[in-house]
Amino acid sequence: MKSEQQQKGVTKTVKKVKVNKKAPVRLWVKAVFTGFRRSKVQQNEKQALLKIQHVDDVSSSRFYWGKRVAYIYKAHSLKNNTKFRTIWGRVSRSHGSNGIVIARFNRNLPPRAIGSTLRVFLYPNRA
Amino acid sequence: MPAKKRTTRIGNWYKSDDEKVHFVRKRKAPRPSQLRKISPGQVLILLAGRFQGKRVVLLKQLKSGLLLVTGPFKINGVPLKRVNQAYVIPTSTKVDIKGVDASKIEDEYFKRTEAQRRKNEKGFWAKRGELTEEQQVAEKKRLDEKRKTQKSIDDALVSTIKKTQLLKQYLGARFSIGKTTRPHDLVF
Repeated sequence: MKSEQQQKGVTKTVKKVKVNKKAPVRLWVKAVFTGFRRSKVQQNEKQALLKIQHVDDVSSSRFYWGKRVAYIYKAHSLKNNTKFRTIWGRVSRSHGSNGIVIARFNRNLPPRAIGSTLRVFLYPNRA
Repeated sequence: MPAKKRTTRIGNWYKSDDEKVHFVRKRKAPRPSQLRKISPGQVLILLAGRFQGKRVVLLKQLKSGLLLVTGPFKINGVPLKRVNQAYVIPTSTKVDIKGVDASKIEDEYFKRTEAQRRKNEKGFWAKRGELTEEQQVAEKKRLDEKRKTQKSIDDALVSTIKKTQLLKQYLGARFSIGKTTRPHDLVF
């Protein structure tokens, strides 16, 4: 199902700053980056394994296919008026039978991200 | 002198003009994307952007395929807005939009004007960004027109919304994922 991508730009490089200071609103699901897809002695850095919170089986993980994922980290220098930087990617497929999911990023995730929380957004909504 | 032998073959087909024709679409206008389980009057949850989490009312689908939504502005601060279908969760709540006339609003309503584009100029081009007298007047007029259109659409909507219990509060509240919410299990 193709939808027009007119309004939303394809590349987002700035961490979204919430304007509403009243109540924080979370529209993303927490996911832990557990490591790269790998065998015992070899790993594929192109494929990141994500453990999405509360997702325990393959049928649940299907909801997240195609959803965009962001790894947000801080750097020292300012870029685009912010010290936060992101690496964007998408959930591409499931992995195993326990709800782990493989995500591919525009640039591969740095290994120091292993164990950190990534944000799995609810868009694009495939309904 | 014997005639020179032709070293290259002449084909049977000659191009009538030398210009290269770039890829030409057979279909002139883009076909608006199919609405998936969404119908006008439905309450949608915006997933991204400044108004993420806000619940808005769908008015119609524009020719470009984007959805035209409104807060209504008085209820949750969301103005008339275009939204992509993929960046929205449809809910089962429906609002009756019989009295609402959004037929005049199309994609041109959202087009950036020259004055708007120039407004954000900085530094070297800042001079160019300063609006002339006429431009300022035109801008003010344009904004007043926008407020009027917003009001005319919202007034009919708000009166319908007030009839349903708690609908106004529902539209004013934002959707958020809590500690135990499982979006894959949620039925909207």
